[in-house]
Amino acid sequence: MRRISIDPITRLEGHGKIEIFLDDNGAVANAFLQIPELRGFERFCVGRLAEDMPNLTSRVCGVCPEAHHMASSKALDALFQVEPTPVAKKLRELFYSIFFATDHTTHFYALGGPDFVIGPNGPKEKRNILGVIDAVGPEVAGKVLKMRRDGHHLIKMIGGRAVHPNWGLPGGVSCGISETQRKEIESLGRDAIEFAKFSLGVFNDLVLGNTDYVDLIKNDAFIHQTHNMGTVDENNHVNFYEGKIRVVDVEGNEVVKYECRDYLDHVAEHVEEWSYLKFPYLKKFGWKGFVDGNDSGVYKATPLSRLNAADGMATPLAQEEYERLYKTLGGKPVHHTLATHWARLVELLYAAEHWVELATDPEITGQDFRAIPCKTPQEGVGSVEAPRGTLTHHYASDERGVLTRVNLIVGTTNNNAAMHMSVKKAAQSLIKPDGVITEGLLNTVEMAFRAYDPCMGCATHTLPGQMPLQLVIRGADGKVLETLEQFLD
Amino acid sequence: MTWNCVTDRGNSPDTIVIGLGNLLLSDDGVGIQVIRYLRQILRRASNDHADIVLEEDHRGGLRLMERLIGYRRAIIVDAIQTASCPAGTVRRLGVGQLATAHSCCSHDADLQDALDFGRKAGAPLPRNSEIDLIAVEAADCHTFCEELTPPVAGAVALAAAEVLKLLPPCQIET
Repeated sequence: MRRISIDPITRLEGHGKIEIFLDDNGAVANAFLQIPELRGFERFCVGRLAEDMPNLTSRVCGVCPEAHHMASSKALDALFQVEPTPVAKKLRELFYSIFFATDHTTHFYALGGPDFVIGPNGPKEKRNILGVIDAVGPEVAGKVLKMRRDGHHLIKMIGGRAVHPNWGLPGGVSCGISETQRKEIESLGRDAIEFAKFSLGVFNDLVLGNTDYVDLIKNDAFIHQTHNMGTVDENNHVNFYEGKIRVVDVEGNEVVKYECRDYLDHVAEHVEEWSYLKFPYLKKFGWKGFVDGNDSGVYKATPLSRLNAADGMATPLAQEEYERLYKTLGGKPVHHTLATHWARLVELLYAAEHWVELATDPEITGQDFRAIPCKTPQEGVGSVEAPRGTLTHHYASDERGVLTRVNLIVGTTNNNAAMHMSVKKAAQSLIKPDGVITEGLLNTVEMAFRAYDPCMGCATHTLPGQMPLQLVIRGADGKVLETLEQFLD
Repeated sequence: MTWNCVTDRGNSPDTIVIGLGNLLLSDDGVGIQVIRYLRQILRRASNDHADIVLEEDHRGGLRLMERLIGYRRAIIVDAIQTASCPAGTVRRLGVGQLATAHSCCSHDADLQDALDFGRKAGAPLPRNSEIDLIAVEAADCHTFCEELTPPVAGAVALAAAEVLKLLPPCQIET
């Protein structure tokens, strides 16, 4: 049996490793997405003051500290049994919409974009953000940079710090915004809407206008029929900050809709000895292994899953794009993993529209931005939709608010089983018996999980450094037959 | 595009000294510890250092590049793990040499690509020759711990001194 290792995986945060095992004929016998790093952040937090958690957990992840900050703040609301004021909720959601638009921008242009704009078989030195800019024009660089800088500027303005926000408190936030600030937020939000529309245009022209890419999206190698999870509002529209968690089956029928505090009634975690990252599954169906279908407990919680789990988008332009996506791909739900990139852009537009909605809300500059907690802390669960999936923080404390138990289920963890399955299926479909294994072929396999925008550092709560890619092909006797490398110093 | 439209630095930026890292991961946070040490030193300086900005951040790549926009000169302080020298060793590196712990962001770009991207966008960035990385060899960047290991803690003052060598002379009151 031959063995192929893709280690570490490129363009995702944290350390990941793909092992592909070939049989004697050169066909893929099995494939594993392994996370060889130890999770430990929850234990580190036990014994600390609960109110420190929004600041501590924002350091779990180098990519989306704002998501952890927000989920943690909501968990503190529940722990201290205090309902944030309406102004506080709107400010949090405004902050979060800005963050979402900024984060999705980065993924499309720096991470997912190279796969489509340059192509999986394009020169590896071009498969990065510079290659994307060379392909679509230098003026795009200015647009992307402005979008990111505007977002980071506003996150600092509202959240208090550029590095890690220190703004969320049980019952609300530490400060509001002035009318001058509101005007700037609104103005930059309108720019963000235009940027989102522009980005959807880029996707439309470069991806949907290219039959090879459309065929790739629709290729069976990148299709998985699993349950889908996402947070929805009272109208079953996508919501990143608040609502109920809805799960739909392979046909799109609602399986369950629950408050985040009840997550343990619906989700459990399976453990495999070859990975430190657990595999959450739906309790209702149990762990049946890495298999598709309505009887399997496997689910996905991605941008595409959020669209599948919802009945629509809450803003008009995003709703138009939502309808166009499903019309183009043959109806709802869509199970094409690579369509996640498109769904991410629909969400980018929604985030920008909602940003402006909230910035123009008459209440947004109100000074009643915090309710003071006055009950004894006990236990609390908070969740938001992180860019990479549903993010849940669960804390228990003693009567002083000293933490006795902490559990985090992050977006990437939700998708662990699906990512593993996607890698295996892509490998089995693309690597043919006795065929030549090219660098482009392996990159195409990588695309199967890159669509999930995984963040292993966040999921396992470690923050490793640079991640080069190494491919090792071993013969049946274990000897190295060939080594391919990319992004190595 | 007006590049100073979102700046919070005023209109006279010259040099940014930025420390990278995560204070919860032991030696990973040495860059930030050096910045905090420098703040104390420069507070005691009798001459004016208003055009030197000391900043903290956690992420390299595009985000780091964006932090450098508008400055003529940049000094980045970060941990590095090469295992080729003792923990606590302080080195001065240029862009494109060894990657420090955070100068490259695996979720978007390394520092050179990020700088190239920014320049393509027309952003006013320091030339590569005006960017220095002060790298402190780390012993442990993976254990959840708020303290530096002893050899790296001992290198904070050395790294700060290396930064000061690159700044205009200052008179420190003792």
